[in-house]
Amino acid sequence: MKTLLIGEYREGKLLDSTYELIGFAGQMGADTALFLVGSEGQLPAYDGALYLADTAVAGEYNPDLHKLLVLEAVQRENPDYIVFLHSSYGWDLAPRVAAALQVAQVSEVIGTRDGGFEVGCCNGKMRRSVKPATGKAVLTIQAGAFLGVRPGGSPKVTRLSNVSAAGVEFVGYEPAEAKGVDLAKAEVIVSAGRGVGKKDNVQVIAALAKALGGELGASRPVVDAEWVAHDHQVGTTGQTVAPKLYVACGISGAIQHLAGMKKSDFILAINKDKDAPIGEVADVLVVADLMQFVPALTAQLQK
Amino acid sequence: MKILVCIKQVPDLESRFKPDANGVWFSETDLAFRMNEYDEYAVEQAVRLKEQLGDAPEVTVLSIGPDRVVEAIKKALAMGCDRAVHVQDPAVHLKDPWQIASMIATYAKEQGFDLILTGMQSQDRGSAQVGVSVAEQLGIPCATTLVGFSYADGTVTAKRELEGGVKGVVKLKTPALVTCQLGLNTPRYPTLPNIMKAKKKEISAVPVAELLKSAPLAQTVSFHAPAKKGSGLVLEGDVSELVNKVIGILKEKTAVLR
Amino acid sequence: MEATREIYWNVGHGVVWGMYLFAFLAMGICAWGFWKRLPVYRQGMLAQSKVLRVLDPGALHALFFWSFGLLFVGTLLIMAQADFAAPVLGIVFLKGAFYKLFSLVLDVAGIVALLMLGGLLVRRFFVKPEGLQTIRDDYVVQGLLFAIILTGFFAEGIRMAATEIGTNPGLARLSPGGLLFGTFLVGMTPAELSLAHKIVWWLHFFLAMGFIAAIPFTKLRHIFTTSANYLLADLGPKGAMATIDLEDESAEQFGAASVKDLTWKDIFDADACTSCKRCQDRCPAYATDKPLSPMKLVQQIGEIARETPEANLCHSVGEDVLWSCTTCRACQEICPASVEHVNKILEMRRNLTLMEGGFPGDEVRTAIGNIEVNGNPFGLAYAGRGDWAAGLDVATLESGAEVDILYFVGCYASFDKRNQEIARNFIKICAAAGVRVGILGKEEKCCGEPARKLGNEYLYQMMATENIELFKGYGVKKIVTTCPHCFNTLARDYKDLGLDLPVEHYTTYIGALMEQGKLQLAAEAFEFTYHDSCYLGRYMDIIDQPRAILKQAGGQISEMARSGLESFCCSAGGGRIFAEEKIGSRINVARVHMAKDTGAPLLISNCPFCLTMFEDGIKTGGVEGEIRVRDLAEIVAERISQ
Repeated sequence: MKTLLIGEYREGKLLDSTYELIGFAGQMGADTALFLVGSEGQLPAYDGALYLADTAVAGEYNPDLHKLLVLEAVQRENPDYIVFLHSSYGWDLAPRVAAALQVAQVSEVIGTRDGGFEVGCCNGKMRRSVKPATGKAVLTIQAGAFLGVRPGGSPKVTRLSNVSAAGVEFVGYEPAEAKGVDLAKAEVIVSAGRGVGKKDNVQVIAALAKALGGELGASRPVVDAEWVAHDHQVGTTGQTVAPKLYVACGISGAIQHLAGMKKSDFILAINKDKDAPIGEVADVLVVADLMQFVPALTAQLQK
Repeated sequence: MKILVCIKQVPDLESRFKPDANGVWFSETDLAFRMNEYDEYAVEQAVRLKEQLGDAPEVTVLSIGPDRVVEAIKKALAMGCDRAVHVQDPAVHLKDPWQIASMIATYAKEQGFDLILTGMQSQDRGSAQVGVSVAEQLGIPCATTLVGFSYADGTVTAKRELEGGVKGVVKLKTPALVTCQLGLNTPRYPTLPNIMKAKKKEISAVPVAELLKSAPLAQTVSFHAPAKKGSGLVLEGDVSELVNKVIGILKEKTAVLR
Repeated sequence: MEATREIYWNVGHGVVWGMYLFAFLAMGICAWGFWKRLPVYRQGMLAQSKVLRVLDPGALHALFFWSFGLLFVGTLLIMAQADFAAPVLGIVFLKGAFYKLFSLVLDVAGIVALLMLGGLLVRRFFVKPEGLQTIRDDYVVQGLLFAIILTGFFAEGIRMAATEIGTNPGLARLSPGGLLFGTFLVGMTPAELSLAHKIVWWLHFFLAMGFIAAIPFTKLRHIFTTSANYLLADLGPKGAMATIDLEDESAEQFGAASVKDLTWKDIFDADACTSCKRCQDRCPAYATDKPLSPMKLVQQIGEIARETPEANLCHSVGEDVLWSCTTCRACQEICPASVEHVNKILEMRRNLTLMEGGFPGDEVRTAIGNIEVNGNPFGLAYAGRGDWAAGLDVATLESGAEVDILYFVGCYASFDKRNQEIARNFIKICAAAGVRVGILGKEEKCCGEPARKLGNEYLYQMMATENIELFKGYGVKKIVTTCPHCFNTLARDYKDLGLDLPVEHYTTYIGALMEQGKLQLAAEAFEFTYHDSCYLGRYMDIIDQPRAILKQAGGQISEMARSGLESFCCSAGGGRIFAEEKIGSRINVARVHMAKDTGAPLLISNCPFCLTMFEDGIKTGGVEGEIRVRDLAEIVAERISQ
């Protein structure tokens, strides 16, 4: 089985998540070739075939042009699967390639099952197994679902021809709001989710964070509701963290949040719903009323 | 100016889901339905654009599905869309993203829409394909994951939400398609006069057979609950006992407590 | 010939006598008939019963009112004799024993009036109760009334000095006020007395005329406007709101955006208000530093109607003011002028919600959205609404089982862990009494009350019509509920939408079961204080029955100062159960402290909102361990003796 892996490059850097594509292909036992719109100076640590276009010419975000470049690579490589990351770059580009080739696309793959690809659905509560009905297929893989693999070495580069297309004009990047809290360095993070109920209750979670000597984190809905500032947000649009201890309070476990904290050493979840998806990744799930359990835990820790 | 908003009716995500008799999608028993949250941002943005342009544009809302989707359509009309198209399909859940997109593209092709808006993905299936696929099939430019939108003289300036909170600013010329993300806007709560006006707005019913021309490119083989992870320990019971247990586990398994 | 005719041609001028006699008789009977029919007496205006509910300064006003009334009647009698009975009929009735009584009564009335005026003056200008506004009007009214009464006594004193004190001391003693004033003047010459009398008499007359002229321009208008309000007050069920006809396609405005959308009575209330501030004193929002004052709100509406009638009412009054109301009705219940505060606020909320899509906060919008999708404000899947009853002796109506009552559970008892206990205990009580209970289970929807009180009539009617269809479809005969809000809504509001079934709150239902001997309690002594929820107490006047039940259960009550009709709201009414309290201090904490101050270790309530607010208030108010809150159902269920 042959795969063409679509790497990612942003703000002048090759993204580490690119290696997750290689990890996925390895799990499938498939041969790989890599595609990247990037730069000669930042080649991936990979010893296979690399189809390369220069961002200086093709731009970091130009989906119509990048689509044509991918199609060229597909034509040359003839892969069975064209694999993207399910990222803001991948979910934007993959359907264009799939439509151009008129092949199936399976989004946000987390594994294989029943001869098909396993994906999440219904906010992560359920699963589907999907089988492409076309010879080729486009896949996007869930961020963090597959461990990154760095084969090492230098790629054999094939430069792609210069083509032009511009349906979308890229103007520039807007930086994220300044981070007051660097969760990436915290050893303990205690996060508040929608389950805390209201802004007043966040202080209860913050008190636990303090008692454990850690930082306060938050899920996206809590930040959107302005109960907590954005620099505490954990998840794909916030910070990705890997502390020694992650305590998820009233967090259901939506994929976007899980992706940001899955790699924590030890995950303790507190939720009144026994079936909350956070239970998938938690080492311990305490089924209790947040506002009863957390203050009790904090009080006991302070003794 | 003609604007199209594509919406999907999805089940309320607080529900418990069970596979249906065929085992390829959820059973609808005991489910409450609502408009896909991402599509609400699309409807709101379309209505705001209409207001910005002095109410001149005509906003059409389209949805595919059984009769119950008319509820979602009515909500979009109450929010300010002018007219609606209901593609009647009692088996919409068996269509794959490609089929959905091609039906929308078939409908939209002759209509000459300047701008098409939809949510970036649906809350139930979440494949995030239909929007982009429609744009590709219509041959119009498209940008996804919008958290910022402005329009002037035929050009859309959009802010895409990227990982880490960074935003990518892009411009597209109409006719174009955009998909909307949480944070783009706060959808309005329909006022009663608008709810009542909505009752009089046109909802054209189109049988699915008129628009469906393609076979599915992918098949759902099964719909099931995730396997329970063995390693996860579930604790329940009296709060003070739980507290002691948890502290014990934290001492044992992490280096956090001394 | 001149174009005229002879009046009384043929019948003769002699008929005048009989005519006027019978005319007066007829008019008298007519007036008397109206007096009998008017609800004025029921309102107790003459008896000043509402005014006397607050003894200080109610007693001062009541005594002044009666005194002034007597003086007025006295003046009418004098007019009747002097200008009519004596010259026309030759009748003099102000003589002899009647005159002696007349003289004494009026003088005493004048003295009492003077003393009461003095008391009111001291209160307003020296004691200065918190929140009492003193404006130019108050100076004018006080001044005028003092001057009128004093000049009245002066004129009387001068007359008595000239005609009575010396010559008829026995009679003079029957006018003690005049006697007091006159005694000092006895030494004046008749000419001096005559001049002084003329001056004072005319002064008194012009002051009185000034008084009459000033009535519409000053607070004195309340003589007419407040009395009129007794006639105009709504005697319908408490808390009734207009049910908007949502089918009416011509309706363009819902709720009150400007004063023209209010009823004329709403604006008239501003004139009937006498700024007594009793409503403000009892408003839980005002007491905890929210910007709402019921008195100021009512007056502001009047001001806007007079000065800027085109203004946007809601924005002029202020959204924070409008959303702060908990619809507890303490204001309306105590108002001695029959002002109706609450519905004005609700009509303005309807404008904010239905015309502007406004909410007091995002958390409220979320709750409303949840009700739309799942029929409950929590956003929990509707399919689980009946899960609390698993394993209990209660059937869903869907199963077709025969039941005696439909137990309308309500959102909180269905989904909230603490309140599910109440539902379970109610079932236990019914089982012990042999009552077969049915519930709607997952078919039940929110009764719609909080949405309605927030102004969302559309969502309310949607929920209500769905519930009513179910009740009718299942042939429900009787409904009992454990929530006073559901109780009020199903018993009263739903009538407008076609439901006419007996609906009871579980407290009176249990009381009836106990009276019928179907439920017996083994009394177990306990000390407690009791909170009258607004929607059971003030709205439904159910105050004694729950106390009787708790007494039979062995309870020893320590009443809070504010109890019964004067109960202090828990803060969750008016849809505010969904809202965060962001302004001022916490109402529920204030109430919990009132409970704790009675010294009782147990606070008993009868409403899921109150229970929720007090559980929270005990924690937030730092009195955990000092007082506990429980529902009446829990107390009763523990004491069932079978």
